[in-house]
Amino acid sequence: MNEPRSSFLVQAYAFGVEGAAPLVFEALDLRDQPDHPANRFTLSVEPGTVVAAVGDEDSGVGDLGRYAMGLAQPLKGRALVFGAAIAGLPYYDLLVFRRRLGYLQLGDGLLQNLSLKDNIALPLRYASDHRLSEVEGRVAQLVEAVHLGAVAHLRPAQSNEEDRRRAALARALALDPELLVLEAPFDGLTGRAAIDILEHAARRLDGTPRTVFLTAQDLHTGVRRLITRVVRIQDGLAQDEPS
Amino acid sequence: MTAVVAALGQPWARRLSVLGGLARFAFRAVRAAGRLSRTGRFVMLRVLVNQIRFTALQAIGLVALLSAILSFLVIAQSVQQLGRFGALERVGTIMVVAVIRELGPLLTALIVVSRSGTAIAAEMATNKVMGEVTALEAMGIDPFIYLVLPRMLGAIVSVGCLMVVFDSVALFAGYVGAATAGVHFNRYASLVLATLSAKDVWITVAKGICFGAAVALFCSYHGLAVTAGPTEIPQAVTRGVVGTIVAIFIMSAIFVAVTV
Repeated sequence: MNEPRSSFLVQAYAFGVEGAAPLVFEALDLRDQPDHPANRFTLSVEPGTVVAAVGDEDSGVGDLGRYAMGLAQPLKGRALVFGAAIAGLPYYDLLVFRRRLGYLQLGDGLLQNLSLKDNIALPLRYASDHRLSEVEGRVAQLVEAVHLGAVAHLRPAQSNEEDRRRAALARALALDPELLVLEAPFDGLTGRAAIDILEHAARRLDGTPRTVFLTAQDLHTGVRRLITRVVRIQDGLAQDEPS
Repeated sequence: MTAVVAALGQPWARRLSVLGGLARFAFRAVRAAGRLSRTGRFVMLRVLVNQIRFTALQAIGLVALLSAILSFLVIAQSVQQLGRFGALERVGTIMVVAVIRELGPLLTALIVVSRSGTAIAAEMATNKVMGEVTALEAMGIDPFIYLVLPRMLGAIVSVGCLMVVFDSVALFAGYVGAATAGVHFNRYASLVLATLSAKDVWITVAKGICFGAAVALFCSYHGLAVTAGPTEIPQAVTRGVVGTIVAIFIMSAIFVAVTV
């Protein structure tokens, strides 16, 4: 079992199962009217891999991210995160558990009354035991890593889509999560920006590969080379695509 | 027959449902306060300071202006009428009972509702619609700690402080009103002080807490209840403000009934 890097994460580790895969969608049926158990699929995301689930808007692929974060519960099947059935956790335990996870939601989910920099700092200020100077240092590091230096002081509404997405990614990476869940992270971005974002997302602070699960309607060709496994969701089933 | 009963009962069932929702909402806020970590307190404090700056500091001018006009009008009119009957000593009672004890808290709370209540409801509704509440939960942050608690504490502190401002200005403006009828400052001060008691101070404090909590509670509740989209935001603001005003008047009546 991976050990927590900081004491504030100890509580978050209380809910996982030792040796379990970071993310497993078990016997999932994404259709509006689930019918036969044979029509369900299981999808496992192995440690250190980048797995992409792609599919049309009505395929249900857009819900996978929220299932993985325990923000919604599937009609049939369940999402296991580090072995824990995340949607079944009590609310306050769930909040603590999510400190092991990073989430870039559809759009960006940035707080409009905070600057991009303060958005990035928020999880560190709230959920870490870092000192103020350490928080500032880590934020500066993240701002530089996602190339936001010149615009970090702006509010989300004053920034362009790419900068907002970069800020949201930096916020998701702030606590150096083991598992990162990205929802349509490349929508509206150039191929170069998409590659840049995924390269940052896929590495942890110590340089080891991070487990990344992303959902998208389609993937840029350049991005595919960074993805370990692409799964297409169609007619309620998941099928591997040649990488 | 069943349809008639249903039609008659539906609005009341809806109101009861809102009351139940408010009670649950308040309970969650209190529960969240009990789970506040050291770092959570720090983050909440930043939001709280901003809330007090907007709700209290930026409203001082408006509260002082309205307080001065109201108490000048009330006292200037009262001394004219009371003077005819030789009951000028009653001006102290009018100042303390009507202005300081009743109208002051009521008007202060209404100013806070119109300035900050609307802002709270609109901001919360926008937070919900823009997915910011989901983002907070995904980061492991309880939205009640980040959004609701600071606004509740901020509104309570602000309404309390603004009531003090209102009363202070009202006492001075009341003297200006009394002076128009030739009442000397010493006489005015002795008449007011003779009526003013410690009970008035405690009632004002209690009203500050209750009215402030009502502003934040109603407006946050209706703001966070938005589900459909941006078009629902103005409706949420209206529901929040109207609900708060009704609650404040009802609480005022209860205070009178309990303390008289």
